[in-house]
Amino acid sequence: MREGLMLFPLLFVVVVLLLVPLGTLGWSSLREPGAAGGWTWENYARFFASASARRALGNSLGISLGVAVVSTLLCLAPAWLLAGRDFRGKRWVRAILTLPMAFSGIIIGFLTVIMLGRIGVVPRAFEALTGLDWLQGAAYGFGGILVAYLYFEIPRATLTLEAALRKFDPRWTMAAATLGASPWQRARLVTLPLVLPALLSTFAVTFGASLGSFGVVLVISRRVSLTPLQIFDEVFAFSNFEAAAAMSVVLVVLGFAMNFFLRGLASRLLAHRA
Amino acid sequence: MRDRPLLLSVALGSVSALLLVVVLAPVLVVIAGSFLNTAFLGISSERWVAGGESELVTFKWFGYVLNLYRPQLTFGVQLALWNVALCLLIGVPGGCALVRRAFPGCGILEDLLLLPLSIPGITVSIGLLQAYSMIRGKWGLLLAGQLLYTLPFMVRSVTSTLRAHDHAALERAAHSLGAGFWRTWWLVTLPNLRHALVVGSLLVFAVSFGEFNVSFLLNTPLYQGFPTALYATYTTNSFQVSSAATTLFLLVIVPVLLVIQALGGRESTKIEQGA
Repeated sequence: MREGLMLFPLLFVVVVLLLVPLGTLGWSSLREPGAAGGWTWENYARFFASASARRALGNSLGISLGVAVVSTLLCLAPAWLLAGRDFRGKRWVRAILTLPMAFSGIIIGFLTVIMLGRIGVVPRAFEALTGLDWLQGAAYGFGGILVAYLYFEIPRATLTLEAALRKFDPRWTMAAATLGASPWQRARLVTLPLVLPALLSTFAVTFGASLGSFGVVLVISRRVSLTPLQIFDEVFAFSNFEAAAAMSVVLVVLGFAMNFFLRGLASRLLAHRA
Repeated sequence: MRDRPLLLSVALGSVSALLLVVVLAPVLVVIAGSFLNTAFLGISSERWVAGGESELVTFKWFGYVLNLYRPQLTFGVQLALWNVALCLLIGVPGGCALVRRAFPGCGILEDLLLLPLSIPGITVSIGLLQAYSMIRGKWGLLLAGQLLYTLPFMVRSVTSTLRAHDHAALERAAHSLGAGFWRTWWLVTLPNLRHALVVGSLLVFAVSFGEFNVSFLLNTPLYQGFPTALYATYTTNSFQVSSAATTLFLLVIVPVLLVIQALGGRESTKIEQGA
């Protein structure tokens, strides 16, 4: 009984603030615009028929996939050091790498413009050193957006990988070494299978975070469109809640699909090893 | 002797160093830009306003930002504190009950609670707007939306602490010694959770204060958090003003993050919130 009372507020939040709104979203994505409308697939059909909507979804997916790969691989280095070795200033390394955690996308967009924009610090320094203006305005291209997304994935990827790599026991590779395995064999046969599930879960975390993010692009450029930004436009520019709902459902479903796929892959790999 | 190829260490170290530079450099540039007269150095996005043109250091942009965006700053702090209070009230008893698995479906409830962290913030805010459009205007929806993203941090902080040591055994021991429900709660459960509550509250504060994805749609002109003010400076003000506003944000958020780090918040290891 007491547990019931303790649990009730939590249940209330989940049902009233999460399940009802998500249900409403699914419901209205299947309604015709207007109060008197009936059921329809029109909102989804129009979404997939629109070239700009498809391009935005492609951008969202492409950026998220690219950043998930790059951040997972790059952050393997600091995570490996933080999980497995002791060195001076370890706390500071972790503190600095987790700094962007509480930065929303707009702040990172601003930082990117300052560093890589038309009069950004890096292009100016590059020009002063080499006389070339190759990097001018790099922020506004695809590369700049990738770097910006990488920025906010660094803490997520590093912390997720570090937590997973802590379970990795270096004695396993040592045992393999005493059994005569070469460094390459050790990496391929011992380290990689043990680390792969961690890589996949980090990939899932970073992909999911990027998919819903729009702050970076909101500040950097409105030439590159993303699905979250189009959802915003549908609501504020056109007050078309039904279309926005359909886009939201597509985005959520894609995020879940990727999550399930990666989880399935990870468990298959674990089962294979056992 | 441990077998450690030197080449690997160098590679890991240099990639890590590169990432450290990537994270730190823009932050330092922004902080410098908030009080250095960049026009004086020959870099300017706007003409330096008359007066003090010869000064290298000025703090007047902080005054400007505080003047213009004080409502957002104070409301952002208030909103974050409301989040902390509600998370403590809802998440702590809830987390304790979840750990005890008192009811069937507790596992599902726990999964659902973590669900918002893997859903784009904008979709949750659209759902909230559609379901409860009648209570829009005040800041109830904004708080509701943020709560979905802050509550998981508090609940996970509580549940992971209770699961780390066999807390049920401690409670049984207290009961067998004659302590009632409330006495056990005050003398056994809460003291054990002290660390989790501090770290959880700080995390909730940081997440709420920096949150923009959900808040972007649920903001109303009168009730906006500080990130909304940041967005306004980025789109309408000069580099110096934007830098000063960002530095103010950092002044609030960085100490909180550093305390979390110093306390060794294991709970922060699985943050998945979309920035």
